[in-house]
Amino acid sequence: MVLYDDSATLAGSCSGSSSSFSSKPPPMQQQQDIDDLLAGAGYKVRSSELRKVAHRLERLETAMVNSPADFSQLASDTIHYNPSDLASWVDSLLSEFAEPPTCPSEFIMDPVTNQTVANDVWTTTNPNMPQVHHNISYEQQSLNNQLTVVTAMEEDSGIRLVHMLMTCAECVQRGDFSLATSFLKDMQGLLTRVNTVCGIGKVAGHFIDALSRRIFQGIGGGSINGGSAFENEILYHHFYEACPYLKFAHFTANQAILEAFDGHDCVHVVDFNLMHGLQWPALIQALALRPGGPPLLRLTGIGPPSPDGRDSLREIGLRLAELARSVNVRFAFRGVAASRLEDVKPWMLQVNPKESVAVNSIMQLHRLLGSDSNLNSPIETVLSWIRSLNPKIMTVVEQEANHNQPGFLDRFTEALHYYSTMFDSLEACTVEPDKTLAEIYIQREITNVVSCEGSARVERHEPLGKWRTRLSGAGFRPSHLGSNAYKQASMLLTLFSAEGYSVEENEGCLTLGWHSRPLIAASAWQAVSHAPAALDTHRPVVSGACDRNFSSTHPPTALASLLFLKRNDEEEICFESGEKGTPGLDWPYPNKEREMGKNAASQHVHVSISPHLSTPLALPYNIFIRDGHFILT
Amino acid sequence: MALNHRRSCYRQDHHETVGENKEKRPKFFINDHADILIEILKRLDGRSLCIAASVCRLWCNIARSDSIWENLCFRHVSPPPSVRSVVLALGGYKRLYMGCVRPVRRRLGRARRASWARDEVQLSLSLFCVDYYERFGGSNSNGRLVGESSPSSLMFLCKPVNV
Repeated sequence: MVLYDDSATLAGSCSGSSSSFSSKPPPMQQQQDIDDLLAGAGYKVRSSELRKVAHRLERLETAMVNSPADFSQLASDTIHYNPSDLASWVDSLLSEFAEPPTCPSEFIMDPVTNQTVANDVWTTTNPNMPQVHHNISYEQQSLNNQLTVVTAMEEDSGIRLVHMLMTCAECVQRGDFSLATSFLKDMQGLLTRVNTVCGIGKVAGHFIDALSRRIFQGIGGGSINGGSAFENEILYHHFYEACPYLKFAHFTANQAILEAFDGHDCVHVVDFNLMHGLQWPALIQALALRPGGPPLLRLTGIGPPSPDGRDSLREIGLRLAELARSVNVRFAFRGVAASRLEDVKPWMLQVNPKESVAVNSIMQLHRLLGSDSNLNSPIETVLSWIRSLNPKIMTVVEQEANHNQPGFLDRFTEALHYYSTMFDSLEACTVEPDKTLAEIYIQREITNVVSCEGSARVERHEPLGKWRTRLSGAGFRPSHLGSNAYKQASMLLTLFSAEGYSVEENEGCLTLGWHSRPLIAASAWQAVSHAPAALDTHRPVVSGACDRNFSSTHPPTALASLLFLKRNDEEEICFESGEKGTPGLDWPYPNKEREMGKNAASQHVHVSISPHLSTPLALPYNIFIRDGHFILT
Repeated sequence: MALNHRRSCYRQDHHETVGENKEKRPKFFINDHADILIEILKRLDGRSLCIAASVCRLWCNIARSDSIWENLCFRHVSPPPSVRSVVLALGGYKRLYMGCVRPVRRRLGRARRASWARDEVQLSLSLFCVDYYERFGGSNSNGRLVGESSPSSLMFLCKPVNV
């Protein structure tokens, strides 16, 4: 859809005249043999020959394009007669030219089926793909002078580029790297004839780069994760400025968090990717102005460790604290440096049980979808500890695309659609250097989706439906974003000068898209509350002893002990401490965190108890289980 | 409006002087009554206010004071409580108006509904806060977030709108 539009606008002026050739011949009048429409223009062409003449004209055009030297000679030296007799005129011209080179003829499609097949390619993805490639490979094998359908030179080149990209991707999927390499060379040649400043040429250029990376450097090579965190932050910042996707994400998430925190005095926000903390000034300001007065706000920002000793997380925290101080909001910041989200453990966040927690993930959860050889996939681990924090709200913003399919070709096609739409929307931005750097940011994503595999591929976008299933399965239920969020998002978009953005509401989630193709989706979730089992007489039945005792004088930041227990039934084990009257559970330290996960495969319950303490441990302690009680001595 | 005011002032003076008693001073000269002047200037729109600032020194001082701009920002909306301290901390009402409220109102002008006035203001405040954070946040001398040519997050508001 988009690509067609692009190529149409590129060749807007030329398409008018030549499209009449490629469409079906106008209704013929049986009496006269001369086509009267063309007669009106001064050309005498027999109606029966219309199709033949059209094809020959296109061959002529191709020939002219391919051998400009001959053309100039043609224009100056040779003499042609009677141009109004179009058929013979074209024939005489054609005879002057050599045979068109075989290279472009590899990529020729049958004119009749071209329209429908091309349409199918862009409207549905999978079912028609094999059909397209079947056509192409058939044409390749025949390699005779099939006729090209050229509506306009650039339009043709644009469409050709796209088709070549698909074929190349299919070769890569098949493993036929030599053929793919030859396609790459052709495409690079074709790129010189296409306008690469905007439109399809630019996107195609990026995809060609990514494909060549994949072919020549192998998967996992050239992974963009090697780019420094500092560079990433800068690119991210410019992407934030150039287009509204991140602003939409931030404002929508903030609105949801603000509404969830209504009435709470002690709030804690966990941000999975702090970057420059651009999301939080608006929340701080909104909390400062809320009717009951601002709460105590704690922010825990997670981010990659900075290499050269600069503690960038702390710097950002200081800036935010400065801002909060000037608007009179009590604020505390904590930074957690982790290069991967799955390395973060919940005790690092130091969540106070009395405060309301909000978890904010802007385009981070998809990075956890890479499947490892471990039993627990990272996404499940992270979702389970998020749930254990019992957040008041979890805001999730993700790209609305299906870039995590196992098949390379499907992924490639989907990415081509998605990123060409995104580049289209970026055209509206005129502020430099924002636009260029934003494009580099997107280009890195493209490279990761196309040229990496396995653990190197982190951009594993999944559409909203899949996230819904996944999050519901992990024990969350959706919390509808209200009309305030929708209003705010619509207003924000109206401020951007491009008219193509659209906000839509999708079962309580908001999506922002370009011309009705959603590109980014924001949703909010709440943990499904389970009644905590009171630890008195209704103690769940736990049998057996633990496998190991843990005793140490670990400092408070140490990891917890791991107890493996056998369970009789499906009841969950809750572990409360500090309650009066629970024998054997004398946990002398005020702050504790409990979390549990279920490893269904082995029927064990994995319980970890992590003390996070404000004062160092003075005495050694033991944790073991007796008769279903946890005993701490 | 300033021009009319000047004209009417002059006309008033002129009438008085042309009238019977040339020695009698004009009964009313607006610059003697700063409070009334403030009340009048408070009701101007942004452009007129800027023009008014060029009338005379008194008008200039008044027009530059933040309280007038405060009124301009929250004209159609009752301001949320305690907003003043926040806005003053983030750079003042004039900056809020010129940087955020005016472009927001202008851009949303076509698609505006009366019920959006409050949301407009809130959105303007949020954008204002982000802008402040980008430009001035931080205690280090280089207050900017990203190098020298840091883009303001309000740059998109400065771009011309495609009609």
